[in-house]
Amino acid sequence: MNRHQLGEFEEIVMLTVGILYKEAYGVAIIDEIEARQNRKVSIGALQTVLRRLESKGYLTSEFGEATNVRGGKRKRYFSLTSLGSRILRETQDQRVEMFRAIPRIAFPKS
Amino acid sequence: MNSSPHIQPPKFLLRFFRWFCDPAIAEDIEGDLREIFERDVATTGNITKAKLQFSVRVLGLFRPGIVKKIGRSSLLNHPSPMFKNYFITSVRSLVRSAGFSTINVVGLAVGLATFSLIAFYVYSELSFDRHHEKADRIFRIVENLRTENEELFQSTSSPPMGPRFLKDFPEVENYVRLQQWNLLAQRNEVSSYERECYIADSTVFDVFSFKLLKGDKKTALREPFSIVLTESMAKKYFENEDPLGQTLKMDYDNFKVTGVMEDVPENSHFRFSNLISFSTWSRNNKDNEDRAWFWNGFHTYVLLREDASVDNVRAKMKDFLQRNVEKSGMYYEDLPLQPLASIYMAPPRAWENGTRGSMNNIYILSIVAVFILLIACFNYINLATARASRRLKEVGLRKTLGALRRMLIAQFLGESLIITFIASLIAVILVWITLPPFRTLVESPLSFSILPNVWIVAGAIIGLVIFIGLLAGAYPAYIISKFQPVQIFRPSVKGIFGHNALRKVLVSTQFIISIMLVAGTLLVYDQLDVVRKQDLGFDKEGILVVPTNGDTAIVNYLDAIKNELKRVPGVTNVAGSTSTPGQSAGNNYTEIEMTDGKMSPTNINFIYADYDFLTTYQIKLLAGRDFQRDVKSDDTTAYLINETAMKDFSWTPEQAIGKKVRGGRNEGKIIGVMKDFHYRSLHTKVEPLMIAMTRNVGRMSIRVEGKDLPATINRVQKKWNELIPYLPFDYSFLDIEFDRQYKADQQLGKVAGVFTGLAMFIGCLGLLGLTSFVVERRTKEIGIRKVLGATVPSVVMLITREFIWLIVIALVVATPLTWYLISQWEQNFTLQAVINPLRFLMAGIAVFLVAWLTISVLSLRAANANPTKALRME
Repeated sequence: MNRHQLGEFEEIVMLTVGILYKEAYGVAIIDEIEARQNRKVSIGALQTVLRRLESKGYLTSEFGEATNVRGGKRKRYFSLTSLGSRILRETQDQRVEMFRAIPRIAFPKS
Repeated sequence: MNSSPHIQPPKFLLRFFRWFCDPAIAEDIEGDLREIFERDVATTGNITKAKLQFSVRVLGLFRPGIVKKIGRSSLLNHPSPMFKNYFITSVRSLVRSAGFSTINVVGLAVGLATFSLIAFYVYSELSFDRHHEKADRIFRIVENLRTENEELFQSTSSPPMGPRFLKDFPEVENYVRLQQWNLLAQRNEVSSYERECYIADSTVFDVFSFKLLKGDKKTALREPFSIVLTESMAKKYFENEDPLGQTLKMDYDNFKVTGVMEDVPENSHFRFSNLISFSTWSRNNKDNEDRAWFWNGFHTYVLLREDASVDNVRAKMKDFLQRNVEKSGMYYEDLPLQPLASIYMAPPRAWENGTRGSMNNIYILSIVAVFILLIACFNYINLATARASRRLKEVGLRKTLGALRRMLIAQFLGESLIITFIASLIAVILVWITLPPFRTLVESPLSFSILPNVWIVAGAIIGLVIFIGLLAGAYPAYIISKFQPVQIFRPSVKGIFGHNALRKVLVSTQFIISIMLVAGTLLVYDQLDVVRKQDLGFDKEGILVVPTNGDTAIVNYLDAIKNELKRVPGVTNVAGSTSTPGQSAGNNYTEIEMTDGKMSPTNINFIYADYDFLTTYQIKLLAGRDFQRDVKSDDTTAYLINETAMKDFSWTPEQAIGKKVRGGRNEGKIIGVMKDFHYRSLHTKVEPLMIAMTRNVGRMSIRVEGKDLPATINRVQKKWNELIPYLPFDYSFLDIEFDRQYKADQQLGKVAGVFTGLAMFIGCLGLLGLTSFVVERRTKEIGIRKVLGATVPSVVMLITREFIWLIVIALVVATPLTWYLISQWEQNFTLQAVINPLRFLMAGIAVFLVAWLTISVLSLRAANANPTKALRME
């Protein structure tokens, strides 16, 4: 059993950070998830997950330039670490493997 | 609304966020919050909604992972580890009984929010005029005036008084005289009536602390035709130009702007848009200024020296009056000195400058605020003691393990403090959402600038939260900590709930308060209704009043203009006069022939009007005749008096006709007696009044008829603009203006209605909680009863029965209390509504229905539940 199990929301956040590549900061991540998944994301939930993933070393972050919107507050851009990408890939592989392992008969065509 | 850069998210929430957030991550999250907020504002344009969502988001961020790591210095593991344990158990028990916690939090939050709003309003009402540096040394000279027949209480004083005070009393350091003028100001395209012009002595800036931004306060108001504008008036007429040294046309004169001052604070008992130099008036009225001791046209304020006592001045007043004012039929009984800060709340005297507050309303609102807070506290006490049984095991265990009683008390007090604290956070948000509607409700701008410094306010709020937390928590903590472990673990726990009686008292107190509020509100409306429907003695509906300020064209062509206006379809009558009902009428020194033939001096109210005044207002005559066009001498020698004046002089209507009158201008005769009409407020009695003729009209009253009022007004306006294009058609409806006098009372009615609703809401929350508790405890009993054949209604009745009794008792207690309070309040009115006992019954029934509905929801569910489920629980 792999020690690095990702939660569903964690996985989505990491995927989104990957999708947005250099542009992954709080609001952009929320917008992206909301657009792609058609679900509401609260800033509280997102930020907690981001910090958790960062402390686990899956994500890293750096400040952007200060601008005069956002009350002069800088953005924090997140990106996947190599550990993070590996975990994401492993998770993906596991899923695919398990998906394939479902017997035909239990998986009627829809 | 495309002004998103100006709109800031609420500061206190940001501050709260910065406080709790881990500083390492605070910056970018705050940025995100702002970005989303700005986007919300820009896309929806709904600021309130955006702010609400913002606050939800901030509260949503208050969670582990975002909140600062609690280090060694934290309260939670300091110094006694038990503290952390208390905190955790408290939070757990709050979360476990989420329903009850919600009821408590919501109830307390609404209670705290209402209390704060009302406190803010009361504070602002009581803060009037305290912002002047020398406020405690400033006094207003007012008059108690005795005439042959009555004593008059006036807020005004005569022009020589101020200077003579300064000369005769060493205690007086300075004085300033003010008089309100209404002038038509014109510059370039802007022309409008400035109703709040004041002429003022040049000392006005020495006495009051009005801040002059431009100009020299020593010389600004020295020369005639000098004017000092407030910032907003300067902006209105000069926009971005520098007004200093420019001229402004007011009525027929050019005034030189010699200064610009800050706007008068909203909590000032008199407010003005500009100050005009006193010399503008006095240069032509030297004689009046020095000698007119009985012309009460001014408001005089004196500033006492720092070491002087007002009592010393008062002691010498009799002597002062004897020395200066020769006695005649009318004389000054006294010249009281009103402390500046008390003027706004003092009972209004005649000719007040500006509106006055009502101490009664302040009392009533304060009581309501305290009531609402009490109801919320009672909810907490009730629910906490009721829920105590759930905590018995915990308490027992703690005690067995050696907890002291005071530790337990601390724990439960802490719990109520936590609840109150959470409630206060929600209350802050509630206040901030409801402040704008509340401002409209009480019709007061309530700006934060009137509050003292931030720390005092914060201290007061924290103090309130702690006080409420302790008030609500004290009794439950006492009860719970009293339990003996043995008692707790013994299977029969009867006797522990001896506080049932207290709960009943609290619930019935809540009912008493609810019934009082409901009945009180109904009775207030009854009274207002009586006032509104009272026969005023004239017809106030359908009259447009247009100010003309004695415009010379109108004065010269009065009849022609009136005829033109009368020809407009929909207009039935037009009258000109100096003042209209609901306004102040002028007060003149007059000599009147008494029954014995002697001329007796008196001060009597005057309205100057033209031929059509009585017909336009449909004022009835008791005797004699109206002014007539075919009697040539009417415009100089004819006087009408009202019924009160006639009675004052103890005449019959017939005797009154033909009595000689020596007015300010001409000697003449009384030609008619009018039936009394309320030319001023209904708060005051109808005073003696005379009407004489004039062409110098200041206002036109236009009576309109027919269905399509707007069209008629349009036609009148068109005609007006044709006839006198330079005078704004600045009309108002007389009935609306007249009703404005009861603004304070109507406000009280509205406010009472809203807060009654809130009180009921909080009370119901508590009742809901209590019922659900009772139902829960009696689940098994109900189950057994049903098995044995009880019907649904009988089960509902079983639960409702206790409450009904409480309501009946509450009704009995509330009725005399409300009766007393309302009859006290009605003393304010000359015409009082009869207190209708049915109202109490209605209130009782209303409260009963609401309570019953609340209870039924839960008890019906209990009664309908399948008894097998109830009995299978173990």
